[in-house]
Amino acid sequence: MNNSNTVISLSNVSKIYEGPPPVKAINGVSIKIDEGELVAIVGESGSGKTTLLNIVGLLDNVSKGQVYIDGEDTTELSDDELSKLRGEKIGFIFQTFFLLPGLTAQENVAEGLLYQGVDRKTRLLQASKILKQVGLGNRLDHLPKELSGGQQQRVAIARALVQNPSYILADEPTGNLDKESGLNILKILKDLNAKGKTVIMITHNRDHAKLFDRIITLTDGKVSV
Amino acid sequence: MKRKLGLSDIYSVAIYGIKARKGRSIMTSIGIGIGIAAIVAVIGISSSGKADLIATLESLGTNLIKASPTSGFFGTQDDLPKGVLGMVERIGPVEEVTATTQTDLLVRRSKFISELEGGGISVIVTTSELLDVVGGSLVEGRFIEAGLSNLPVVTLGSVTAKRLGISNLDVATKILINNEWFGVIGILEKLSIHPDLDRSAFIGYGVAKELFDIDSEPSTIYLRANPTYVEEVVDVLAPTMNPENPDQVEVSRPSDALEAQQAAEAAFTSLLLGLGSVALLVGGVAIANVMVMSVLERRMEIGVRRSIGATRSEIRNQFLLESILLAGLGGLVGVLLGAGITIGYTRYASITFSIPVWQVFGAIILALVIGALAGLYPAIRASKVQPAEAIRS
Repeated sequence: MNNSNTVISLSNVSKIYEGPPPVKAINGVSIKIDEGELVAIVGESGSGKTTLLNIVGLLDNVSKGQVYIDGEDTTELSDDELSKLRGEKIGFIFQTFFLLPGLTAQENVAEGLLYQGVDRKTRLLQASKILKQVGLGNRLDHLPKELSGGQQQRVAIARALVQNPSYILADEPTGNLDKESGLNILKILKDLNAKGKTVIMITHNRDHAKLFDRIITLTDGKVSV
Repeated sequence: MKRKLGLSDIYSVAIYGIKARKGRSIMTSIGIGIGIAAIVAVIGISSSGKADLIATLESLGTNLIKASPTSGFFGTQDDLPKGVLGMVERIGPVEEVTATTQTDLLVRRSKFISELEGGGISVIVTTSELLDVVGGSLVEGRFIEAGLSNLPVVTLGSVTAKRLGISNLDVATKILINNEWFGVIGILEKLSIHPDLDRSAFIGYGVAKELFDIDSEPSTIYLRANPTYVEEVVDVLAPTMNPENPDQVEVSRPSDALEAQQAAEAAFTSLLLGLGSVALLVGGVAIANVMVMSVLERRMEIGVRRSIGATRSEIRNQFLLESILLAGLGGLVGVLLGAGITIGYTRYASITFSIPVWQVFGAIILALVIGALAGLYPAIRASKVQPAEAIRS
């Protein structure tokens, strides 16, 4: 395995939530994810999935160990530097989409570039391009409430993609969708991966996980197998 | 890579928060709006009134002094001692002096009006200088000039002319004083601070002596003093006019009344300004409240923005600017409303509209400052929301 291609590397990472009583949510986890991988992280509720997501998404700090993103150690970075890194390298997809209700689909997607200093005109142009790629070219001016759940999730995927991130981090992206829409979203994620994008999905649905190339199973804060 | 959010971007993010909750935003800014409107209207109305008052004071001068006998026990007026005019003229700083003599002559429009219905207008015997000394002017015609003193002619005060139904002198007009006909030769402008003169008719000393046997001892004198020594003249006037009984002379400065009125209005203005400030304070607290609530409601938005790269300070600035814009919106509406109230009032009271520009800017800046203060705490709270917790909610 070529080290220069490693996108994410967790080295002996632990996360303890200060008590009382203290809870060891993640306990000595080491994971390496390379560029172009299609990874599913599975586990029962309480197994530490969400904590792992927060760590891999740079949304939370670790109690012990190191987190490398594109070879850079993130454990010593300031809050502002972490924000910057999130904006540039990580595309988030959430279970409940998290679209801003007052903005159109195009504006929501364009928002993904807002904090990178891209001017408004370019943002909107990029947004419409990406929305066309996910099949919503005819829904640019629709508000989230005017879209179906599956469509909303596709807008959210577009928002993650418009940043051109190093990896996509999806947290139960199908959890709020019917079976057909869910499978459709999985297909989009697999297509993105086929084009070279690193995709990490967290799910409790083992059937969905089976569609992915690599499955990491969490049990009680530890990686099993 | 350019990292800083442009001003227009921060603005669009902040305006998003306001537009997404239009009704609430409007209600939130109402408090500030009312406070600013009250303050602008109070300052506007008082400055409009003050402009008129100052204009009156200036045209009047503060050096006009009036002296008359004090009212007697039964409301009758004592006479001033003989030769009083000469005594007053010898006071150094007195520049101009004129005498008037109050009479109980009856004024009627014609003989068909009963003698009982002629009340309310007094005839004052005076000299040509009176007009200059009290700072009056004529709507039309002439005053009782020096050469006219012996003729049966009369100049009317503004109220007198109105009561007698004489609005102009296009046609030769006569009125009856007791049973003698007098030709009307002039009508005075309203003298704002001498309502008694407005209700009078003026005739000369010559004709008064000849027709009614009224001698020339004055009952009231008006004088102009050198402005530097007004106080001193006021002090010596009564003892000069009546050395034996100075307390029988009443000395007054008509401008004092206006200045007192100004002071009273200033006190009232301060009170209303105080009330306006309370409204502003309450408005500010309302904004702070709504913003705190908004931060709680919008954790998801904060979480999303943090996950797509927003720093803490960017989140803080967003909420701070939103609060400032809310207050600014209220301030703008308040200024318009306050100016509208001022315009309405000045029309109603027919006074000159005047609203200082510094006040308009000051009011808007005040609103913005209040918005910033009110938004500071909620904005800091928003910036401290942990992204990991925000996206879990």
